[in-house]
Amino acid sequence: MSDLASASDALLAERSADGDTVAFAVLVRRHGPFLRAFATRLTGSAADADDVVQEALIAGWNQLDSLADPAKVRGWFASIVSRKATDRIRARRPVAELDEQRAELQENGPEQRAITTSQLDALGAILDALPEGQRQCWVLKEMGGYSYEEIAEQTGTTVAVVRGRLARARATVIAEMEVWR
Amino acid sequence: MTGIGDSGYTLEQLGDYLDSGRLPANPAIDDNAECQAVLASLERFGTLSRDLVERDAASSPAFDESWFGALLAQVTLEARAGRDLPLSSADPRTRLSITEGAVREFVRAAGDAVDGVLVGRCSLSSSDAGVAVDISISVQLGTPVQAAAETVRQAVYTELLKHTELLIESVDVTVTDVHVVTSEDS
Repeated sequence: MSDLASASDALLAERSADGDTVAFAVLVRRHGPFLRAFATRLTGSAADADDVVQEALIAGWNQLDSLADPAKVRGWFASIVSRKATDRIRARRPVAELDEQRAELQENGPEQRAITTSQLDALGAILDALPEGQRQCWVLKEMGGYSYEEIAEQTGTTVAVVRGRLARARATVIAEMEVWR
Repeated sequence: MTGIGDSGYTLEQLGDYLDSGRLPANPAIDDNAECQAVLASLERFGTLSRDLVERDAASSPAFDESWFGALLAQVTLEARAGRDLPLSSADPRTRLSITEGAVREFVRAAGDAVDGVLVGRCSLSSSDAGVAVDISISVQLGTPVQAAAETVRQAVYTELLKHTELLIESVDVTVTDVHVVTSEDS
């Protein structure tokens, strides 16, 4: 009997494109945890991440025919996740609330954040505290591996804005991670 | 000169330089110790970011089954049946057909049942001569490829004749992948 769990991503994506829900379920179990972690870093919310990943996977299922390279299905899903995450972030918060959240986060200064157990935790906390747009750009660039152009497309902005946000995010991360050098 | 390490370059420009793969090479940056330190830090934080999301993924709790169930229910609802393919019928007053989706299911079931074989893509094209079936398969490492392909071809042909009464023009099998059996949970 077949064991789809040992199949390659490409084969599973091809079967899914042909309408095989079983193969699709294997893909979801295989890449779901990464997509959820990615979405959580993007949106800053585990609950939003679950919704975003579900929306993205359903959208992906319906567009599998347009996936040019089935072997890259994980990255393709991730790019749909980032577009859905952008929609979600835009829909949920008025700007005033954003500023408030920022102020709260700033009370948690670098000194305090440095008292964490590991570099990874420290970086995670710094990223969580970045302003929404900067965090999205950092996550898409460093965790998603997307180009400036792709990030601009996924977040509905311009390359110039992406470059500026990334530069500010980098300045903050470098300054706050100083203690770990 | 100002900028990082008196190089004349800002952090933003160093970021651009890094993102362009440090090309074209810029000696003012490459030979500047402080710039090099900043670039190394940026690269390290990039690597750490990827470690972070992988760690998050590895340590996140299993998917809630209701989340999973809702997703699969939606996907099943939106499953693609494909076009209808005409079936041959003894009675000229009757028109029978079967969806491409159903035919693909038969094809996958027949192919997957062959030892060491997983069916991938299955395309169907119909003409007056009947339906041409074109499938790709992956064979398990160590399985004789030609024999597996021929067995799949026969099995698919037999299954379709048995279950569908479709006029089968041809069944073509292409081996496109090799897989090893893993113990990955599914």
